[in-house]
Amino acid sequence: MIDLNRASVLVACGAGIATSTVVMDHLEELFKKENLDVLLVQCKIAEVASLQSEAALIVSTTILPTSYVTPALNAAPYISGIGMEELDKEIIGYLKAYLNTSTVKM
Amino acid sequence: MALVSFMDESLIKVELEVESQNELFQMMFQEAYKKGYVKDTYLEKIKEREAIFPTGLCMSDYSVAIPHTDPEHVIEQFIAVATLKKPVTFSLMEDSTKTTDVHVVLMLGLNQPHSQIEVLQELMQVIQIKENVLGMIHAKSEQEILGIFGNINSAMIGGD
Repeated sequence: MIDLNRASVLVACGAGIATSTVVMDHLEELFKKENLDVLLVQCKIAEVASLQSEAALIVSTTILPTSYVTPALNAAPYISGIGMEELDKEIIGYLKAYLNTSTVKM
Repeated sequence: MALVSFMDESLIKVELEVESQNELFQMMFQEAYKKGYVKDTYLEKIKEREAIFPTGLCMSDYSVAIPHTDPEHVIEQFIAVATLKKPVTFSLMEDSTKTTDVHVVLMLGLNQPHSQIEVLQELMQVIQIKENVLGMIHAKSEQEILGIFGNINSAMIGGD
């Protein structure tokens, strides 16, 4: 399950099988490049509600059926190829800020 | 080249004429079911999924859709392609309140979520490169479509 001492990101799509796999791969590369120790968890959007409390961020290619406590970003740019770099920056910026605040707390 | 191994000429429809998304799904399903790629539940499930989590993708000046559903309805993995004579309206993946007119539909039958990355990446290359999608829209035969998918890797290496 999710390790509480590490930032985790939920990567969701409708079936948890097709587009989320593409996003998983992209984010793995991105985090490696940025030297961020982040746990990626692939899931169906329907599973997000029960997994969100331990996650730093939700990244979903599909529409969010409900609102979540955990911040959520739309990952459609990784599928359409339009706006990928902006989304990369947004995710990295968010996670760096998140990791900084959680280190201060501990 | 992984992509082509998921394709079957009989699951490619060129210049298909349909009036609605339901009719489109019905026609694509029929062939896949006949060939044993999917269970009889696939059709209902793909319609359900599309209604809740749509798969229309609006690129810069064209749109595609990648309908798919849960793995348990897929027997053998496949990618089916339909090019449409008259576009069919799909809701957008990221915002179901918006719709787009789709000319190229890639129906996915996947049942091994984590071993698919190469195929999915190639698929994204197919839909993100305008020439590929335009090539499909203008294709007159199933072989032409297969040719586009077969050229993905070499086109990427040789091209930009």
